[in-house]
Order: sequence, then C-alpha cells, then structure tokens
Amino acid sequence: MPSDRIIYIIFFLALGLTALLVLYPAYYALELSFQHRESLISEPEWVWFQNYARVLAMPDFWAALGRGVIFAGLTILLQIVLGIGFALLLAREFPGMPVIRGIAVLPYLLPTVVVALTFRWMLDGSVGIFSKAAQLLGYDYLPWGDDPYMAMITVILISVWIWTPFVTLTCLAGLQSIPEDIYEAARIDGAGPWQRFWHITLPQLRSVLLVVLLLRAIWMFNKFDIVWLMTRGGPQQATEQLPIFSYRQAFEMYDVGAGAAVSAISFVILSVLILIYFRLFPLDRKD
Amino acid sequence: MRANFPKLGSKLGYGALLALTVIYSVFPIYWMINTSFREPSTIYTAIEFFPSAFTWENFSTLLELTDYPTWFANSVIVALGTVAVTIVLSVLIAYAVTRLQFRGKTLVIGTMLYAYMFPPLLLAIPLATLFVRIGLSDTLLSLVISHTTLALPLGVWLLWGFFKQIPHDVEEAAMVDGCSRLRAFVLVVLPLTLPGIVTVAIFAFLLSWTDYVFALVMVSSDVNKTLPVGLDTMVGLYELRWGELMAGSTLIALPLFVMFTFLSRFFIRGLAAGAVKG
Repeated sequence: MPSDRIIYIIFFLALGLTALLVLYPAYYALELSFQHRESLISEPEWVWFQNYARVLAMPDFWAALGRGVIFAGLTILLQIVLGIGFALLLAREFPGMPVIRGIAVLPYLLPTVVVALTFRWMLDGSVGIFSKAAQLLGYDYLPWGDDPYMAMITVILISVWIWTPFVTLTCLAGLQSIPEDIYEAARIDGAGPWQRFWHITLPQLRSVLLVVLLLRAIWMFNKFDIVWLMTRGGPQQATEQLPIFSYRQAFEMYDVGAGAAVSAISFVILSVLILIYFRLFPLDRKD
Repeated sequence: MRANFPKLGSKLGYGALLALTVIYSVFPIYWMINTSFREPSTIYTAIEFFPSAFTWENFSTLLELTDYPTWFANSVIVALGTVAVTIVLSVLIAYAVTRLQFRGKTLVIGTMLYAYMFPPLLLAIPLATLFVRIGLSDTLLSLVISHTTLALPLGVWLLWGFFKQIPHDVEEAAMVDGCSRLRAFVLVVLPLTLPGIVTVAIFAFLLSWTDYVFALVMVSSDVNKTLPVGLDTMVGLYELRWGELMAGSTLIALPLFVMFTFLSRFFIRGLAAGAVKG
C-alpha cells in the first residue's frame, strides 16, 4: 500500500533526527575530548589522549572524584533509608492518604533553583529561620557556606530532601504489590514487626530496590545543579565533584577539551560500575 | 487483654510520624510562599509563621522592575517547543519499534536507555560548542534542541512501554476493514496511547521548565534567559531581596503544583517508571 511507504519514510526521517539529537552530541563530546583548541571558535588541533593524560595528572581531578563518591554515597544511603521509611508510613490505606502521598512527592517536583533559593533564604546569615533556630540553641550563626564540612553536609541534606520522594514512590508501588497473606501467615507463625520487615518486606522489595539504587547512583553521581546553586563548588572547592570540575574546566578555564575529557571519564567510570552491578545483581527481566 | 494500650500507643506514634513526614515535606515550600507575601520591611526583622501584613508588593516589584515576565515567556516557549518535538518524534519511534519490521529494533531501545544516563555535562559541553560554531548560541532554539536531546530517550522509553501493551489485533482489524496503516495509526492507536502521550508531555515540560544546567551553559544575554537561570542571576543583582526572590520562586513552582493537582495520575505513573532525570 502506498501509505505504508509513507509511514516508513516518516519513520526513518524521525529515526535519523533522533539519532542526530541523541547520539551526535555524545559523539561530538568524544571528538572534543581528543582535541585542543584555544577557544570555543578557534580551529581544533588533534591531540588524542593528551587531554585525558593532563586531566588524570591533576590532583584536583582525584579530589573531585573522591568528593563525588562521598556526596553520591551518602545521599543515596540516606534517600534509600528515608524513602523506605516514608513508603512504610504511607502504605496504609485510609481516607485522605492520597493527599498526604501527594504532599510527600512535592519536593521532587520543585525546580532545583527554587529549592536552592528557598534553603539559602532559610539558612541566611542572621535572619533565616534555620539561623534563628541555631541562635536559640546558642550558636551565633550557621557557617554552612564557610565551613567545608558544613557545606558538604548541607548540600547532602538538601539533595536528600529533593530526591527521596522518588525512592518513596517506587517503594510504595513495590509494597502495594506484596500479597497480604504472606504477612498474615507470618503473623500466625508469631513473627514480630521487625522480623516481618527483615524477612518479608525487604526481600519482596529487592528487585524494586536494585533498580532504585542503580538509578539514584547514576543521577547523584552526575548531579550538577543543586551543588552549583548552593555553593558553586566552594568553599575552597570543598563541594566540587566531577560535574562541577568538568564545568569549570570547560566554561571558566575555556579548556573545552579538558572539560569534555572529564565528562567522558566520569561516564566511563559509571558504565564500568553499572556493568559490575549487573554482574553482581542480575535484574529479573520480565520482557 | 494488655493489647489495647500498645495499640493506642502505636496509633498515636504512627500519627505523629505521619505528621512529621508532612511537615518535613511541606515546610520549605510553605516558608517560600509565606515569605513571598510578607511586607518587605519586616522580612529581615522578625520570624513570622504567618504574614502579619499580607501584601502583593513583592510580586508587583518582581513583575514591574525586573526581566521576570520576559523570562517567564521564554520558559513557556522553550517548554512548549520541547514538548511538541519530543512527542512527535517519540510517538513515531515507539510506534515503529513495536509495529514495523526492520532490523536493529533492540539497538534503538538499548541506545535510548544508554542515552538516558549520559551525564548532563557530557551533552552540555558539545552542544554549547556546536551552537557557538553554527551561530545558534544564546537563542531559545538552542534550548529547545538541548531539552529535546534530554527528553527524547525518556519519551521513547515510556511510549515504547505503552505501545507494547496495545494488542496488534485492534489495528489489524481496522486494517482488514480497509483502513490504511496511517489511518489505523491515527484513528485507533493514537487514542489508545493518549495516557502515555500525556505522561510524556508532562515530563518533557517538567524537564524543560526546571532545567538549570543547559540554560546556564547556552544562554548569556538577559533577554533570552529562562526562569531558573534568570532568577538565580537576581541573587547577585539584588542582594538579600528575599521577598522578591521567594515571589519569583513561588511563581515558578505554581504551574507545576497546578499541573500536579489535576494530572497527578499521570505524574505518579511517570514517576514510578523513573521518568524524571534527577
């Protein structure tokens, strides 16, 4: 039929455009990482792995990698623990519960810039509400922007606030699919709440949690906006992880090659970790 | 029976935990809205859990004296453009992958999943360089292209799930009855996948509306900024004007809350499918 041919043509056009949009930037990033250019518009010079060698020789790179691991590790751990807790709380059914669940999702919907500004206002020098609360407890001010440890802790806690609802929602869906009779049977056998949690709930959530852990790890390791908006990587690079290091190389030092190389390296690290993860915990494939 | 007392206790404990969860989730949002309605002069002198003098002053200053209305319009244009392009392309790809016969289908879907985890800067750096070279830098179009790059893998992935679930018999019956493939697609398949399309539209919108990274990298002039970057630059310009900043934040969040209230079904489904990069 002629219309069949039309639909094939439309489809291949769409596929071509999609490939261009999705794959070309990644390919171009690779190309940039092998080139040296004086500025964004100057002619490139192929230097192959020199950018990579240069970046890997920078102590700042390794420091940023270490901070990224700490930042991602702690945020993921807290998100998962809190998310499971919230999901258990919100799993019960009674009138009004859907509204409460909706409220618990709100932080996840907010643009990062809104969260960052709101928390900066709440932490503001002497008049923010957190600062006032700290004064009541006898501290003069909250040094979250000046103290390296406090800055990292602040960024971690705010990230947890924003992204925990993702864990809550997915775990909630997982909890609702656990058949009630398993709990009933366990109750009859005399299992207490803790035993039911450890021996039924957690194992039943296993496949959900494996996916959640994977997705959270990918996103937290790549996280740029909340850290940049809160601290710009400071004070004295105390919160600078790889995405911020990469941004600063490309757009502050105008060293696009190094910036692209850093992004490529962090993507390779992530890919290797994901491969190992799949080897350790094969996900049950249902399709 | 000694079971009654712990039962009452656990009920109270449960209620308290639930209340804590709600306060934890909503307090910063409440504080943002509360601040935006307070008298500017009182903001720095006292903590008020409810505005003692309710005023629209912060909003009117924001809308009259800053570029906020321009940024708002830019954000709307970019988000709608992203939604339109993402939907058209992801519907076509998802349909083709589930319905047409060709080699490399799994490769398409696999590539989409892989692209889904590209670090934002792995895309932002080459796109920014590219736009400078072809003269598109600092335009709204460059933002639509960048946001589509982000949203497409997600759109294809979500819609693939929807298209898979629709039995082929339905459209085959229509085609046997003399419908062309194109007509069967438009009249039978599209209406059935509407919930999926709405979900993708919402998430493409959300992604574009909340994006900070790409807007930061692509756009430099004030007139082309979108809300997130525009608002953040205000911090430097109007140091400590928290009333206006919170009014601006409230206005960015408002459309999302309205959408969430009316379309929460789609939100929850999309979120559960991992439909937000973040």
